[in-house]
This record gives sequence, C-alpha cells and structure tokens, in this order.
Amino acid sequence: MNTIEVNNISKTFGSQKALDEVSFEVKPGEIFGLLGPNGAGKTTCIRIVLDIFKPDSGSVKLFGNGMSEGKKDQIGYLPEERGLYQDINLEECLNYLASLKGLSSSESHRRIKEYLIRFNLDEHKKKKVKELSKGMQQKAQLITTLVHDPKLVIIDEPFSALDPVNTQMVKDILREQRDLGKTIVMCTHQMHQVEELCDRLVLINQGKSVLYGALSEVQKAYAGHAIHMRTEDQFPASLPGMKEFRRLENHSHYQVDLDLEISPQDFLKTLVAANININQFEIATPTLDEIFIQVVTESGMKYE
Amino acid sequence: MSKTWLVIKHEYWKHVKKKRFILAILSLPFFILLMVAIGFLSVIFQYNDSPIGFVDRSSILDNPIEYQVEAPIGLMKPIEFIRYTDESEAESALHDNNIQAFYVIDKNFIETREIKVIAIKAPDSSVNGEFYTFLKLNVLKDLPEEISSRLMEGASFEVKSTGEQKSANEDNVFVFILPFLVGFLFIMAVNISAGYLLQSVVEEKENRTMEIMVTSLSPNQLMTAKVIGNLSVGLTQLVVWIIFGIIGIFSIFRLFPDLQSTKIDLSFLLLTIMVFIPAFVMIAAMMAALGATTTETREAQQIAGIFTIPMVLPYWFMQVLMEKPNSPLSIFFSLFPFTAPVSLPMRAAFSTIPAWQVVITVSLLISFAIAALWFAGKAFRLGMLRYGKKLTIKEIFTQRP
Repeated sequence: MNTIEVNNISKTFGSQKALDEVSFEVKPGEIFGLLGPNGAGKTTCIRIVLDIFKPDSGSVKLFGNGMSEGKKDQIGYLPEERGLYQDINLEECLNYLASLKGLSSSESHRRIKEYLIRFNLDEHKKKKVKELSKGMQQKAQLITTLVHDPKLVIIDEPFSALDPVNTQMVKDILREQRDLGKTIVMCTHQMHQVEELCDRLVLINQGKSVLYGALSEVQKAYAGHAIHMRTEDQFPASLPGMKEFRRLENHSHYQVDLDLEISPQDFLKTLVAANININQFEIATPTLDEIFIQVVTESGMKYE
Repeated sequence: MSKTWLVIKHEYWKHVKKKRFILAILSLPFFILLMVAIGFLSVIFQYNDSPIGFVDRSSILDNPIEYQVEAPIGLMKPIEFIRYTDESEAESALHDNNIQAFYVIDKNFIETREIKVIAIKAPDSSVNGEFYTFLKLNVLKDLPEEISSRLMEGASFEVKSTGEQKSANEDNVFVFILPFLVGFLFIMAVNISAGYLLQSVVEEKENRTMEIMVTSLSPNQLMTAKVIGNLSVGLTQLVVWIIFGIIGIFSIFRLFPDLQSTKIDLSFLLLTIMVFIPAFVMIAAMMAALGATTTETREAQQIAGIFTIPMVLPYWFMQVLMEKPNSPLSIFFSLFPFTAPVSLPMRAAFSTIPAWQVVITVSLLISFAIAALWFAGKAFRLGMLRYGKKLTIKEIFTQRP
C-alpha cells in the first residue's frame, strides 16, 4: 500500500490553473521530493493531499483511502507559512498543539521536554513565542511536526531561512526519521538541497508534472557522456576521445564531453598516459537544477 | 479528551487568565458604583438639613398635625420645622444660621396662595416641596381621613393597552427597568463575546496557525470550539455582572424597602432566554465569518460595529414600543432577528404578545443562526488561508474550498 496516491488532480483558483492533472505516488519509508520553482503549485498540491483544499477533479488516497480525522494524528506537517501562537509561552504553545495531535498531557510534556533539550530550547521554554528568534521558532515548529511520532512527515520548504548549521541539523533529523521507518515528503524549490536526501521525486512546473521517478534513474536518463575533473596542469587542447571541454566555476575544474565510442575508464587511461596530474575525476551526473532547466527548455515552457 | 473540548478550554483560559479580562470584568460594576456614589454625594452636597422656620399669619398651622420629613439618605437628619411668631425673630434666627430659610404664610393664603420665602441662599426645591406637603396636610386636616389621605398620595396610574390583559403599574419600577437592563446586558455580552471570537479567528490568521489547526482537527470542530469557547468568556463576564447586580439589588431593597413587593415574571425570563440564545449564536457566527473574511484585527473590529447598530436601534424607538406595543413598527422590531433580542422583552413587559409572534420570532432567529453558522463555516474554509487578501461575499456563495 502506498502512503500517498495522487491521481490526476487539478485545481483552479479564479482564472489561474494551479494544478493540471498531477499524479504521483509516495511509497512507505522513502524520502520523496515534491520539487519545482516558486509558484509551480507545490503548496497547493500538499494542501489538497492534506484535505485543506478540495481538488476540482482527481483524487487523493492517504494510507490506502480518503482523509479522515483519525489520520490527522499520523501526519506531521510543517507548513510553508510557519506559524505558532505568538502570545503564549513556548512550552504552553507546544503542549497545546501536541494535545491536538492526540497526545495525552503527560506524554506530550515528557516528549516536549526531550525535544526542547535536544534543540537547545529548554532555557527559553517560559518565554513568549514572539520573543524567540526566527531560528528558534523554526526549530519549535519542527517539534510540533515530529512530537506525535507521525508515520508521514510533510515538510514544505524545510530549509528556508535556516543557517547552514540548522540546515544540517534538519537534514540529520530527516535522515534519522527515515531510518525510523517514517515516510517523508519534502516540498522545495531549493533542488540542490534535496538531491542528497531524496529517493524519488516529482518535478512540477506551472501546475504540470514534468518529471517523475527515482532520483538515480532520472539522473541517469539525463546524464550526458561526460566527466568532471580537476587538475592544476595545463589542459591539452585535444585528446583522443575528447569531443570538447569547458572550464567550470574555477580554473582547475573542467567538464569534458567524450566521444560515444570511448568509455570514461579509457579516457582516464588516456589522461594518465598524457601525464596529467588528476586531483579529481568523476562521471558527470547532472544536478537537479540542470535537469530541470533541460526538461523545461525541451518541453518549450518558460522557466519563471 | 475530544479535540473540540481542548480548543474550547484553550480559547476560554487564554482570555480568562489575562489581566485585561479581570480589569474588564471589574470595570463595569466599579463604574456603576462610582456613578451611584457620585449621585449620593451630589445629594449630600446639595441637601441642606438645617431646620426651616415659618411664620404663620393664616392660622392654618395653629395646631398642626406633625409631619415627619424623610431624609433622602439614612445618614442625614430629617429637616425640622420651627415656628416663629414674628418675622424679626425668624430673621435673626436666619442670620444666626439656626435655620436655612423661613416661610411667611400670607394671612389670606387660602385666597392668594402666597407664601414668601426668606433666605440668604434660595433653598432647594425639594425643601419647598416638603414645606408645602406639611402645609397641605394641615389645610386638609378637617376633611374625612380617606379623602385627605387620597389627596395627599395622589392617583396610581396603570398603563394598559386596549384589549390586553397585561398591565404595567407605574409603582412597579422593575417592569420598566427590567427590559432595559436585560437588553443592555445582552448587547454587552454579545459585543464582548463576539469581540473575543473575532479576535480569535483573525489571530489564527495573523499567527499563520490555521494550517496547523486544520491538519489537526476539522474546520467544523475548530469553528464550533471557537464559538463555544469565546461565548463562554462573554457569559462568564455576564454571570459575574449579574451576581454584582443581584448584590446591588439586595442592597437597594435594604435602602428602599418599598420596592420589595416587586416580582419578576418567570414567563418573561423564559421568553428572554429563548430569544437570547439563538440571537447570541447568530451574531457570534457572523463575527466569526467576518473574522475569516478580513485579514486584520483592526479592520474586522471596525466592521463589527455595524452589527451593533440594529441591536441598539429599538432603544431609539423605545417610546413607541412602550406606548404602542402592538403597532406595526413594534411588531416588526420584535420579529426582525437583529432588533428582536431587545424589542421583544420590551414589548413583553407592556403587552401580552400573541403566541404566534413569539413562535415566528424564535424560529426566525434559529434559522438565521443556522444560516449564519453555515455561512461562517464556508467563509472560514475559503478564507482561512488567504493572507492579505479579502474574501468577497460572492466567492463564499460560489466557490468550493
């Protein structure tokens, strides 16, 4: 049984088509990326999955069938619009929201205490939420997403407004949650952030699904016959099997397109034979950003 | 514990625990007490309890019947009347401050009705009145007892509308005061609760917590809980005020024992409750809908004022409602859901309202309340995730969430 099944959902707001026949499945225990640029329809899609909006057409199944009140306790949702009750103290706010996810008072107090210590928020628990910094509020929000030990975690723009340290912390938590067997849906436009985390993904642009599948397969499908390499040496203008080369960001980093008949392995031999000192050599896999631009250009859509 | 209950509890304590709430709850009784105190003080400062003198040239007061003046407030001593045989004697008493004024009754008072008042500062009209009562008592003393006392007490007017059983006695002050008081309390309670509710819905938007809430419980549960939670806050405030009111009434009974004969009609109270509850829900739901369609607390509060106007409208037409409780305007006011909560009790105090009218009023209110709840639910689902963009009425009727 899939955790989420989205079948051909469409949604229009006024004259604007927010989603057009989008379908995808999320399998239990995976980290799934719901990707796309700003305004692509990701948040609308999540809101339909969570039954906040109704689709104009199409259907959604959660844990095998429609949404119900009981299932809400098994879902942890971190909305893009972060929000906590600003006027009450942190501990009270977290306990209230946890109780609404079905936790008993004693259980929620126990778990929230653990999380507050883990997230270094324990000394701030008596402060009003509005007195906390943005980063602290972000962490507090993450507590409300995870405290009831949900089977499905849906996170919208998990890394927005996070510094590198907290970004790393969130990534670690997501991996840890996956290791605990949770299903995670990450919804973001920062595609480079999720490349290392996602198992499978769907890419949405202008309300349409443009790419869907396992990350490795997607990358394989879009990989050209090329390598990336770093060397301090002068790069020769021509080498056997090399179609062309270009410098990437800095001087010593090159991308080399190969002739179809030569394998990367043989090209490495050629480089060694040419006495070039290699600092790094890898088969070029396109980044999600690159794949996205390629897909969008191919399908003739504008990248907004 | 049900989630609805959790939200009710949260909404309730959020307000009740605040200092602002306790201040608000105490401010009204304090204000009333202050007004009463100022009233008493002004009486005390205006009332001069030093004796008054009189010089009687008409011989009416030769063997006077004693008349005991009642002091307006128990703490003060009643005014005494002192007889002087001639004006110079009285005048020197006046200059010695033994009396505040003296009255000279003309020799032919019965024909001329002339009384001269001599004083350094003109006495209060109530002092003149007391002296006149004393004089009247003695003018009438030769008439038979029943006649003189009837003339002294005056008539008791009973207001009665044609063909009705019910009547209001002018002596029964409560019949007049109660509908006002009840209507006033209702408007206060509605405004307070609705204000809290409005704030609570808009706050959910301002805090961006709506998505978290509706992924924890259903929008209907959330809305119901908010309505009940915030109405309870208003009711708490009302109950506290009523308790203060009862204490106040008992103290008034102590001060003015005459009022103790007043009874409050049970059917009147029942009618009031039947009208108030659906009206309460109706207005609360409308406030919630308003909260869901607007984006800022201040803007919402300005619009909320519009709901208050039809509610207080009957006060402006009070005279019609009291004097012609069965005129078309009065009937319209008591049927129209916004004016009914204040008008119906007012009419009921002065007339017997036909059962069919009561049935129509209450059913109209209930249907309006249900419609308002539906409207609020719809507006809430559509408007909850709109930040900074208002929802139009057309959208509420035509759009799907």
